[in-house]
Amino acid sequence: MQINKEQLITELISLTEQAIIAVKKFKTLDIRQLNFKNTPEQWSVLECIEHLNLYGDFYLPEIQKQLLKATSEGYSTFFKPGVIGNYFAGLMKTENGKIKKMKSPKNKNPVSSVLSITTLDRFLKQAQLLQTLLKQALTADLTKIKTAISLSKFIKLRLGDTLRFYVYHIERHILQAEKALGL
Amino acid sequence: MASELQFINKLMNSFSEIGEIKIIAKGDYLIKEGETEKNLYWVVSGAVRVFYLTEFEEHVIRLGYKDSLINSLSSFIKQTPSEFFVEAIRKTTVKVISKEQLLTIVHESNESLQQYLALMEILVTQQIDREIDLLITSPAERLKRVLARSPNLFQEIPLKYIASYLRMKPETLSRIRNS
Repeated sequence: MQINKEQLITELISLTEQAIIAVKKFKTLDIRQLNFKNTPEQWSVLECIEHLNLYGDFYLPEIQKQLLKATSEGYSTFFKPGVIGNYFAGLMKTENGKIKKMKSPKNKNPVSSVLSITTLDRFLKQAQLLQTLLKQALTADLTKIKTAISLSKFIKLRLGDTLRFYVYHIERHILQAEKALGL
Repeated sequence: MASELQFINKLMNSFSEIGEIKIIAKGDYLIKEGETEKNLYWVVSGAVRVFYLTEFEEHVIRLGYKDSLINSLSSFIKQTPSEFFVEAIRKTTVKVISKEQLLTIVHESNESLQQYLALMEILVTQQIDREIDLLITSPAERLKRVLARSPNLFQEIPLKYIASYLRMKPETLSRIRNS
């Protein structure tokens, strides 16, 4: 399978933009609404967003580092997903507004964090940085550059897969946050 | 009395006379990033922190407690959107005066203006001290300098915020405090 790089990056930038719009909307809400939980097990809006921030803390510096290290050699207009990377990205992807449920790793669980309105501001700053990195990725080799992942020290993913995984993961939890509000 | 202290005295009198009382709950904000600072606050009781938010962290840049004058200063001076958040660390009572009220006091006499200028000069040199603080490699030395300026810091402010102000991990601050 080959994916057109420009198409992929455009899609990811647009998904990030939609996430920014959604979170700016959350910012207009009352803090009680943002902390509201339908059931004790389900996450509130702020918990969903903090979960994303915890992922950003790991992935954004890693993506940035690998992009800086990369040379422009081997520039290609296509990206070829890897087997594992493609699987992870697919796992995150929402389908027709439906989310496949899964358990979050303990160190990415936001439930014990202190949450406030700055959780949303921090997300917006991370999303800005992500958009900058996505634009940089347009001139990078998404197949050859490898990035570490948070789940295992032994697996590295192709940058293109990491970007897909990371952005789809955002989309997934924004949707979850909107559901928590009953939107 | 040094002239900047005379101005602060005058300011304190104005706060007592015309300053509106405002009570903020723990975790609430006097100002958030993006808003424009219109006021100067005198902390009557409680404690606040001024912090700068990045993608990954909140950096405390200033702390205030009883008798501190505090706001988002650059926004207050330039009337541009604030780069900082000012948050109550615990339930805090402040007295508020507006920029217009402050300027009226500053310009009420030539003497007052001179005193205000002296205060501004002190502020600039304090800012340079703070810059040096951040360049000092030894965490213990960094702590010493700050405690020399604010001996009551640990009575007023939770350790994690002091650590952030000193740009060190809370664990590091605990360790050097106990040694």
